[in-house]
Amino acid sequence: MKRLDRRIIMDRFFKYLVIVISLIALMPLFYIITSILVHGGSTVLKAGISFLYEPPPSPLSTNVGGIGPSLLGTILLMTITIIIGLPLAFFTAVLAVEYPNSIIAKFVGILTRSFIEIPTILIGVLVYTIMVLPMGRFSAIAGAIALALVSLPYMYTHIENALASIPWIYREAAYGLGLTKPKALFHIFMGIARRGIVAGILIGLAKASGETAPLLFTIGGSRHSYFQGLDKPIDAIPLLIYEFAQTPYNIYHEVAWGAALILLLIYLGVFATLRLLVKKVEL
Amino acid sequence: MTSIPRSDKLFFYALLPFAGIVLSIFILLLKILVENSLPIFIREGLGFITSNIWRPSETNSRIEYYGILSPIVGTFYTSLIALILALPASIALTVFVNEYVPHRFKILIVNLIEVMAGLPTVLYGLWGAFIFAPLLKDYVMVPLNNYFWFIPIFSCKPTTPSTMFTASVILAIMVTPFITSVIREAYEAIPLSYREAALGIGTTKYEYVKIMLTMIKPAILAAVLLGFGRVAGETIAVSMTIGNSFSLSMCLFEPGYTISSLIANQFGNAGFYHYMTYALYGAGFILLIIGLTLNSIGLYILVRWRKSLEET
Repeated sequence: MKRLDRRIIMDRFFKYLVIVISLIALMPLFYIITSILVHGGSTVLKAGISFLYEPPPSPLSTNVGGIGPSLLGTILLMTITIIIGLPLAFFTAVLAVEYPNSIIAKFVGILTRSFIEIPTILIGVLVYTIMVLPMGRFSAIAGAIALALVSLPYMYTHIENALASIPWIYREAAYGLGLTKPKALFHIFMGIARRGIVAGILIGLAKASGETAPLLFTIGGSRHSYFQGLDKPIDAIPLLIYEFAQTPYNIYHEVAWGAALILLLIYLGVFATLRLLVKKVEL
Repeated sequence: MTSIPRSDKLFFYALLPFAGIVLSIFILLLKILVENSLPIFIREGLGFITSNIWRPSETNSRIEYYGILSPIVGTFYTSLIALILALPASIALTVFVNEYVPHRFKILIVNLIEVMAGLPTVLYGLWGAFIFAPLLKDYVMVPLNNYFWFIPIFSCKPTTPSTMFTASVILAIMVTPFITSVIREAYEAIPLSYREAALGIGTTKYEYVKIMLTMIKPAILAAVLLGFGRVAGETIAVSMTIGNSFSLSMCLFEPGYTISSLIANQFGNAGFYHYMTYALYGAGFILLIIGLTLNSIGLYILVRWRKSLEET
């Protein structure tokens, strides 16, 4: 009887230990979100709606200004990243799924996935070396390419899963009609796998909106002027937060918190849409 | 290949350029890292990674010397502490989600974990630098130093909120959801027959969980290695909280550097010096090697474990 008691006590103790540690592990998320809502909220309330389109303040000004150029930059970067990254992710995924027996396809599949393992700062260094140096200046297009490379493996994984999970009977039916592979892909498989493909796009958007390291040496952070051209410097919200947080000016810290609130809202919006589409999200 | 229709073959060839792009990007990355770091390896040899001297000079390139021992040690040190903190949390979360949470709330908790995994790292950095670091200093670092000063890693007085300890804790928070997702996938892949066998002999939940966790030991090891790769490459949140200084100390309460935060901080102005750019490419090369090695071993263990599960 004594032995049984010890087992039950052990079981109880373990249960509470697991629950307490789990809650501690989840707490930072709530703490971060609350902090951003409180600090960012007060900044945005102070600045009003113009926070979304005004340029940032000067270090000693009392007026909060806004993050207009950076917000526009982030939206543009998200768009160009998808335009560049989606075809690359989609067609490598098609190659891997449709030609599973070819060695090239297998190799490229493994290689694309292994892009996840490259530290994102090195992607920034790579794009700096092959694009920014030859062009002689930072540019929006360099940033978008860096972001596309960072989001490539995530987009690829989702699209590949979607294409690979098309049931065989549909494939047989398509080929039974005498359709060639490209026709079957564009007319039938893409329709069946559209959720996965949209999920791939959304993952790309999430990465393109939130990544900072690939942008450090690529976009130049021109946060006082609006879009000037693809080959000209641009700014992004994460970069603004990173750089403003490291300055000693209080007004910049306030702007950084406000920008964090906007970034959080973009991220949560993308995540919620993604969640409605697919069961399992890999970020 | 003879049975494949001609148009399908053409399609295959049409897809090859995309494969070519992916391949060439990878090769290009290796090429620029190796090419640009060669001068520093030739000039300084092993001294580059075994000495802790960072001596830039704008006027006299002959006295320039760069040794990145401190960032290398800092990378491993902060990653190690982060993983020691994150592993119990990840295992607890896995057990919590799969065994204790009522089914209705399971999806909610899983969603929260995924939101946390994808949250932009700069938000972790901002919160870490302004909110969390001062708290950590007052309520954790100072008391630890007061009561456990005789343990070398707690031996120095924390003078600033931005320390290696702060960065480690932030990294632990960031990597916990990732490690959890790897462990959870393995935990849920355990065949039902094993679960029933364990429950059938009348185990308590604690004993049952212990058996299940023993079964996925290789997957846990893999998750730790993959997490290590992630943590070692993380840049933004670390550079905002680690203090960015070349110190080589056992004590966690001093500011430090990691390879990635070194690149983030110095790469922008390295052009003013003759050799610093090479040194930073060299640091990047070492970072890539560390990341690829850890990840490859982790993935290898994971794949082998999955296979062994299928065979039994």
